Amino acid sequence: MPATAHLPIASSGSFLITPNVGLMVWVLVIFLICLWVLRRYVFPVIGQALDRRAEAIAGEIDSAADLRRQADEVLAEYRQRLAEARAQADEIVTRARQAGEAHQKEAIETARAERERLLEQTRRDVEAETRRAIDEIRREVADLTVLATEKVTGKVLTGDDQRRLVEEALADLDFSVLTGGGN
Amino acid sequence: MSAITAPAPGGTPAPAGTPAPGEGSEPRAGMSRGKRVALTLGGLWVAGLFFFIGVFGFKAHKAPAVASGVFTPTNEFKLDTWFSVGPVNFNKGVLYVLLAAAITLALLFYVARRLKERPGRLQAAIEMFYGLTSGMTRENLDTTLSRRYFPLIATLFIFILVSNLIGYIPLPVDSLDKFKLFGAHLPSFQIYAADTNVAFPLILALMVFVLFSWERLKAHHGPAGFLRSLMPAGITGPIKPLIFVIEVLSYFLRLISLTVRLWANLLAGHMLIAFMGGELGVLVGDPWVQWLLFPFGIAIYLFEAVLIAALQAFIFSVLTAIYLGDAVTSH
Repeated sequence: MPATAHLPIASSGSFLITPNVGLMVWVLVIFLICLWVLRRYVFPVIGQALDRRAEAIAGEIDSAADLRRQADEVLAEYRQRLAEARAQADEIVTRARQAGEAHQKEAIETARAERERLLEQTRRDVEAETRRAIDEIRREVADLTVLATEKVTGKVLTGDDQRRLVEEALADLDFSVLTGGGN
Repeated sequence: MSAITAPAPGGTPAPAGTPAPGEGSEPRAGMSRGKRVALTLGGLWVAGLFFFIGVFGFKAHKAPAVASGVFTPTNEFKLDTWFSVGPVNFNKGVLYVLLAAAITLALLFYVARRLKERPGRLQAAIEMFYGLTSGMTRENLDTTLSRRYFPLIATLFIFILVSNLIGYIPLPVDSLDKFKLFGAHLPSFQIYAADTNVAFPLILALMVFVLFSWERLKAHHGPAGFLRSLMPAGITGPIKPLIFVIEVLSYFLRLISLTVRLWANLLAGHMLIAFMGGELGVLVGDPWVQWLLFPFGIAIYLFEAVLIAALQAFIFSVLTAIYLGDAVTSH
């Protein structure tokens, strides 16, 4: 016990405020030992670990920022490509539509021309047939007229008579209906 | 008392109209568990009061040791020498300091040897302590000084914290009051902290005082500069000597304030816990007083262990950092 503990006043409670010198020495020595040990073996280890983690976190943050930047670039590129693709698609669709329309127009024109051609051909055929029919009818009429005249008159007609009779008979006939020229 | 506690365990519907009609036993279920526990404990507390007054009487008799003056509440803070090795005495104060050092070193070594990238709770707590002390050092000192004094400030914090905390664990160290177990006389359990002896904070405060005085001496190039640095800037005229005396006094009072703040807080806390935990009842000789104050004892115990232990360690270490910083920055 320290000397102060043996004083009469110590036993009456003053030991509470009287420093125990022996304990002071113990505290100082033990504290300094703790300080030395912690300073040498513990704090550097913890500090290095925290520094490493801080560096790792900083690296992770940088890496994340870099990845973010790359992702932004990729996204921008993707968007650009998407826009280009959309523009190309629109162009292709427009071209296809235009080509389709051109084809359609061409087909219509071709069909129309073909139809005109066929109509013209048909018209020509009809006219030719009509002309041929009229000529035949004329011939038939002339022959019948000559035959009828010979039977009625009882004489053989000369070439001039026949020609005159045929022209008179044909003059009375209206062939415009057959040729489409009449009503 | 029974009117308070009886309905709780039964679960029968309360007669009061508080619950919604037709809900049967719902009203009791509506009361929170914490409230039910508090009501039960409160009921037990009141019942205990009646029990102790009924059994021992309102005015009981003091124990012989108290009546004769042999027992005094401060006795448990006495440092009886258990044994000596030459000039070195060993007592419970030394035991607590050794315990604090052993726990501090073991704890920090354990964590330092098992540092992981993903820290567990203990490692996170130690890292928080490291960050806190490192931060308070860097805030008050420049880079060179903070590198030099960080270990001191961190060790002060953790050493005082552990010393404070083990002071709230009951240990068989009361050699003045023994109890018998299987024929062996063993020291009674008590809560004691080395910081309740003024020697503990005084030597640490002395060490800090010497260090920041030395830094001030170095920073201001000798004793004359040292004394000049104590004067606040801008003081002129006849008031200067008075201010100088006050500043010198306040400088030396830092030693006292550092010491007394830690020591008085711990001592007063332990005495309050002891008084509220039953010692006052022993002194007045009334068991019901012990029972009456017991919940307050628990409350003060929790307050001291949870808040004061860490707060005082923090204050001591942060003041060390501030005084060291002030030593080199003041003009």
